[in-house]
Amino acid sequence: MSDFLDRFGRGQSMCHRWPPFVKLFAAVAMILAATCAPITHGPLVGIVACVIFFAHTLARIPLRYVGRRLLFFWPTLFLMAISLPLSQAGQKGWLLFVTILVRGTLSFSTALWLVNVMPFDQLLATLRRLRVPDVLLAILSLMYRFLFVLWDELDRMRTARSARLFRKPSLWETWRSAAHLVGRLLIRALDRADRIHGAMLARSWNGRTRWIEPRREDQR
Amino acid sequence: MHIQDGVLSPVVCAATGAISLGAVSYSVHRLQQSVGDRTIPLTGMMAALVFAGQMVNFPIGAPVSGHLLGGVLAATVVGPWAGCVAMTLVLFVQWALFSDGGLFSLGTNVLHMAVIGAWGGHSVRMFVQRFFGDSRKGIVIGSVVAAWATVMAAAALFCLEFRLSWSPREIDFSKVFTLMVSFHSLIGLGEALITGVAISFVLNQRPELICRMGTPARPIEGTGRSVHPTATAITRTLAAGFVIALAIAAFLSPFASSFDDGLEAVLGKLGIENFNLTGNVPGLLEDYDKVPVPVAAWQSIAVSFAGIGGTLAVFALAWLLGKVLPAAPPQLSEAAGE
Repeated sequence: MSDFLDRFGRGQSMCHRWPPFVKLFAAVAMILAATCAPITHGPLVGIVACVIFFAHTLARIPLRYVGRRLLFFWPTLFLMAISLPLSQAGQKGWLLFVTILVRGTLSFSTALWLVNVMPFDQLLATLRRLRVPDVLLAILSLMYRFLFVLWDELDRMRTARSARLFRKPSLWETWRSAAHLVGRLLIRALDRADRIHGAMLARSWNGRTRWIEPRREDQR
Repeated sequence: MHIQDGVLSPVVCAATGAISLGAVSYSVHRLQQSVGDRTIPLTGMMAALVFAGQMVNFPIGAPVSGHLLGGVLAATVVGPWAGCVAMTLVLFVQWALFSDGGLFSLGTNVLHMAVIGAWGGHSVRMFVQRFFGDSRKGIVIGSVVAAWATVMAAAALFCLEFRLSWSPREIDFSKVFTLMVSFHSLIGLGEALITGVAISFVLNQRPELICRMGTPARPIEGTGRSVHPTATAITRTLAAGFVIALAIAAFLSPFASSFDDGLEAVLGKLGIENFNLTGNVPGLLEDYDKVPVPVAAWQSIAVSFAGIGGTLAVFALAWLLGKVLPAAPPQLSEAAGE
């Protein structure tokens, strides 16, 4: 899963070597431009799109990868956008429909660019220098760590569930077992949190977070 | 449920972001105050859990499937403050890793799912639970109702934000509102069902995990000991149900009526020329020109029906779940899992 999310995060392109602040602010600026440019102003939107595309090229993010992520993303955006003209019986709202599609796509690709030039630990270090409270960052970094553990746990439980099923379950059974899956995962996660807490106490955890200074390449 | 960048105007995003910032800061503050050293790993795990829980698919039709949102679940287990923080971080990571949601609309999403989900969900659950004393049934019913109410409130709030973002010339908001509310009353039913089953499952297996903030009676399981007056009579349930139903209906109807009235006037000025240009196209809009009042009335009725009917349905659901599920015998917690 992590491979899919920020596959190119450890690349060595020009964009990767920019200071973290520059990357973050470049992304914010691009999203701001994408969401504020009036859609009727074609050239402006085109320029923003070109800049975003250029950024992807600079970062050596393959077009195929971007395309695949967009393919996963478009259906939800499309559903959201099409509901507007549909609610108007197709009479109005098409401009809004196009606006949402274009802006959504542009800001999504910008966020994708940011994910792929800025690994998560770098993002955390940057946020810390932006004075985000330590508690939040500590929780965030632990969450990032647990995320993949719980995904694996969920995968195992799903495999076990499908191994136990001999027939196609009814809709209600599917829902019930899926909700039980969530409940079971909850119990396991809380037990794991207890164990982790014990392990942290054993390593002299006192509720205060301390950070190791970021590595040199993060500071540049 | 995630709002992308570009759906709402930057000003609305900024305003909702400011509200969320305040709410989340207050949650963090309370979290830091209440801290045991256990809070940080627990909240981190809860956030990761909500994230993973959203990966579990709930099939609806052949291609469509829904998933848990988890605000009420998180608030029920770790309390509103930690729940709000956990949901905020989930939304942040969803943007930072999945590019799901959006940067500027992050504040809006946090308001909808973390603040309404955890704070609102917790207070609704506490309100409903009061009618059941400190029983298991109360927790399940309370969380089911809370899940439904938070989804509906988020949908209504979204409509309001959407209304503030775009000029009425481009779109007719009362129809968007009708669509949104009816659509989300279904989503809310799903959320309520999932939350209810998951929580009653946990209550069956490991009742000590469910947080009971604000209720002084700690042991509830089996012993029947509780400090609150347990008024579990059907009359109290019905009373609670109708209070909630009325509250939601009252919450929805001003929206519906003001949307209709305000827009009717605007459309009367702006929309009619448009309408004449397009000619007599068969469809809903044709009625608008000829008989504006019945259509408007019909829409408010539809919206109110979605609100009240949905609320009643959720109450029936909650009642059934509360009745059926705790009757199950306690199972072996470890062996039953894999």
